[in-house]
Amino acid sequence: MKILAIETTGKYGSASVIDETGRIFSAASSEEMNHLRGMITLIDEALREAGITKDELTHAAASVGPGSFTGIRIGVTTVRIMSQMLDIPCIAVSTLGAMAERALGRAISSGALYVVPVINARRHQTYAGVYEAVFTADGSRQSAIPVMEEKQYMIEELLEELKQKMAEHSGAAAFFTGDGIDAYGDIIKDIMPEESYVFAEEDLRYQHAESVARIALRKAAAGNILTYSELMPEYMRLAEAEQRLRAGTLSDRIRKPVQI
Amino acid sequence: MKDGRFLTLGIETSCDETAASVVADGRFAMSNVISSQIDIHTAYGGVVPEIASRKHLERINDVIGKALDDAGVSAGEIDLIGVTYGPGLVGALLIGVAAAKAMAYACDIPLVGVNHMHGHIAANYLEHQELEPPFMALIVSGGHTEIVNVPEYNKCEKLGGTRDDAAGEAFDKVARVIGLGYPGGPKIDRAAKEGDRESIAFKRVYLEQGSLDFSFSGLKTQALNYLNQERQAGREINVNNVAASFQEAVVEVIADKAVMATEKYGQKRIVMAGGVASNSRLRALMEEKAGRKGIDVLKPSPVLCTDNGAMIASAAYYAYRSGAKPDLELDAVPGLEF
Repeated sequence: MKILAIETTGKYGSASVIDETGRIFSAASSEEMNHLRGMITLIDEALREAGITKDELTHAAASVGPGSFTGIRIGVTTVRIMSQMLDIPCIAVSTLGAMAERALGRAISSGALYVVPVINARRHQTYAGVYEAVFTADGSRQSAIPVMEEKQYMIEELLEELKQKMAEHSGAAAFFTGDGIDAYGDIIKDIMPEESYVFAEEDLRYQHAESVARIALRKAAAGNILTYSELMPEYMRLAEAEQRLRAGTLSDRIRKPVQI
Repeated sequence: MKDGRFLTLGIETSCDETAASVVADGRFAMSNVISSQIDIHTAYGGVVPEIASRKHLERINDVIGKALDDAGVSAGEIDLIGVTYGPGLVGALLIGVAAAKAMAYACDIPLVGVNHMHGHIAANYLEHQELEPPFMALIVSGGHTEIVNVPEYNKCEKLGGTRDDAAGEAFDKVARVIGLGYPGGPKIDRAAKEGDRESIAFKRVYLEQGSLDFSFSGLKTQALNYLNQERQAGREINVNNVAASFQEAVVEVIADKAVMATEKYGQKRIVMAGGVASNSRLRALMEEKAGRKGIDVLKPSPVLCTDNGAMIASAAYYAYRSGAKPDLELDAVPGLEF
């Protein structure tokens, strides 16, 4: 198995190649929002590092969101077309799940039970989820199991629900990760009880294709694959105009064109 | 290559059409797949960029797949990929560019970026097999009203353009106000056929003596004021007459300036391009005015006037032949100039 995984939902793009033994080779951009220009170069670098050609790839995986709409589209389109042209299946990986996976080891070593990836969606909004660090059935390794729905939360709402969840285990701590820390760190400090939370260090705070690749490898082994038409973005939000159309608040000028 | 013919795949996603086409030797469209989103955007009274971007993503694979199937070729037989990288809606453009790059990389095919406007001109190479530069080009579309001198393949000199609204934009706005809705161009064209084009005296805006530029915002305001005034006076508005008179004021100026530029540069042919180039009155007036000066008018068929992948493939073919360097770091440039 040779899986290509790409991550374009955050500020910095990255590409990784993972094989069945779990060896990972990666390339990451140091330029912000350079996904469209830089993605093919990153893929090519990751493949070179891995010492394989694109024709040896068996799967292509994308971090499908939530995150930057534009970033999501670049990643998903790239993977869909690679899948179609190389005739290999796709794998969809939740961006929040991949962020939890990335933070898991550090969360456990810091003594936290929960991992909370938070993506800044502006104006107090976030895309977030809550994961619990648990041992897999065979006890061989720990994994992050979702315990609260991945969705759009107001930051305050997320923290209140999280506190309720944490009340189930006295003394449990939450390990926050993602650019939500940069945007809402002060709010988190205000709302969360002292010593009930830890912030991820910047070196693993942001999305990276490595954790996308690790999840993709497990999904591939489990046969959890998709055709390119089935690989869809997870925006977690309708387009604004569509929200207004559904709510019946689209501008009258558009709905009743005859009036001036 | 197939049967000794050089095959170019053209991909276009700059606005609300997801399109791809396989073109042989830059001239023969072997397939031309256009998936329009017009039905979706009509509910919003115009193109919604975020929705357009989402739809492009959902459709791009099948549009490319069908373009290959219809042409009876495999991806491995494609010699060159051309993709629109601007001007256009950034979110829409980047779907085409990302798709083109992924395909170019996966299949080891050179990729060149194409200026959408050059594509509109190249639509004429598909329609008129004998056409070669030099010639004058008139591009009229939702976002553009431009007169362009084309001295050689892949070389375009813009001589004049709009200083405010594009012709198509003015059509859209007036169509909305008289209740015809979106898209304005074809609807005004249709309504105008039932109306009297001399019934309302809308002004012709020629700007300074000899200028090849356009301005339609004053005309648009005049039309809105006229409608307001008539409604306030309680007079019933004849939509067909407004459409016909307004359209005449727009296309007469366009035709006059296009012919003037062609004469000034000593060209013998003028080619029309862009969505509004399929406007029937503009076509008729161009024939009439150019004919009097012994200038030939070439027009692509309506399917090649709308945004399509074939014109992008043709423009890519000539760009590549003229030495354009393949580029896997291609970026989308929404405000790309001529």
